Amino acid sequence: MKTLVIFCHPSANSFAAAVLDTSVAALHAAGHEVRVTDLYAEGFDPVFSAHDHEHHLDDPSTKPDIAHHAANLRWCESLVLVYPSWWAGQPAMLKGWIDRVWVNGVAWELPTDGNRLRPLLRNIRRLHVVTTHGSSKWINALEGEGGKRTALRSLRVLCSPRCRTSWIALYNIDRSTLEQRNQFLRRVTARLSK
Amino acid sequence: MRALVVLTHPREQSFTRAACDAAVSGLTRAGHEVTVLDLYAMGFEPAMTNAEIVAYHSDEPILDPLVAQSAAALQAAQILVFVYPTWWSGLPAMLKGWLEKTLVPGVGFVFNNNHRVRPGLTQVRHIVGISTYGSPRTYVKAINDNGRRTLMRALRLQTGLRLRSMWLGLYAIDTSTPEQRANFLAKIESRMASL
Repeated sequence: MKTLVIFCHPSANSFAAAVLDTSVAALHAAGHEVRVTDLYAEGFDPVFSAHDHEHHLDDPSTKPDIAHHAANLRWCESLVLVYPSWWAGQPAMLKGWIDRVWVNGVAWELPTDGNRLRPLLRNIRRLHVVTTHGSSKWINALEGEGGKRTALRSLRVLCSPRCRTSWIALYNIDRSTLEQRNQFLRRVTARLSK
Repeated sequence: MRALVVLTHPREQSFTRAACDAAVSGLTRAGHEVTVLDLYAMGFEPAMTNAEIVAYHSDEPILDPLVAQSAAALQAAQILVFVYPTWWSGLPAMLKGWLEKTLVPGVGFVFNNNHRVRPGLTQVRHIVGISTYGSPRTYVKAINDNGRRTLMRALRLQTGLRLRSMWLGLYAIDTSTPEQRANFLAKIESRMASL
């Protein structure tokens, strides 16, 4: 399956980078064709600009700097997001990638007479999120798991209607042991090898 | 009381800015001392850098002068007002990054003697969210209202629970009438004037 991996962490020495390496190895082993986008490494600008806003409803050709991101989204059949959860959600860098790339003509189109977006990314049949949380599961439940909702609901509705999702998360990483982190990496391998 | 209004919108002329002006006018009428942080105009950089992640775990977690300015404004405020458009059912990356970078240890939360996280912004008495949505309210409620959750739940863990919160949303803005938008602005002003 054509698989696009979006990675969001500034450090190559982070646990998130280990999660990325594990994810990509598992996807390769399962025979998938993998493209990786490293948002920090490529210096992606997450700020939805006045220009983006002005051309919000225009053709994506008005935003040439997101063209290769849009092409990757249209190419893939499976999308994997790898990031640490901050404030119970996607880091600003990744949120900015969503704000700026999932635009009109790429991810959706808006009928002239309505408010409901029409999905354009029907090519995406699998959506995986691989993430870590500093705080415990119950604290995240209290905070409302907004990041989970954003990925598995708001993004998913623009993919194939039969898109399958998976949420692969390590909670309480701030108090985790080495063995728990290794166990999580094995879980990532098992889930992404399916 | 001191009020901090955090405005997030990329354009100088926008409905969000009109909403911000209405909020400031209401707060001023009520006699509050108002500070506005216009994140786009400040040139705030929302993406946490690696140096900032390293600093986060040190005794001096703030590196950026704009973050230091924001943290001081937060610590002085009894009323927090966030004015922004909801994008992807959540906060614009700009505002999300502002929370990530400003509410660091020592500002958003502190550690007690048992190394447990405790709220850092206990002086806050009111949190207000003012946002526009492309989607109708029923869709927002059924699918995802992550921006509201982030400010009303995640941020509440850093202010303590003894405060009043208020949410003012204008839904389905793309098909709203001029009258609905004018009513929304009037409602913002009167609600802020009664704080």
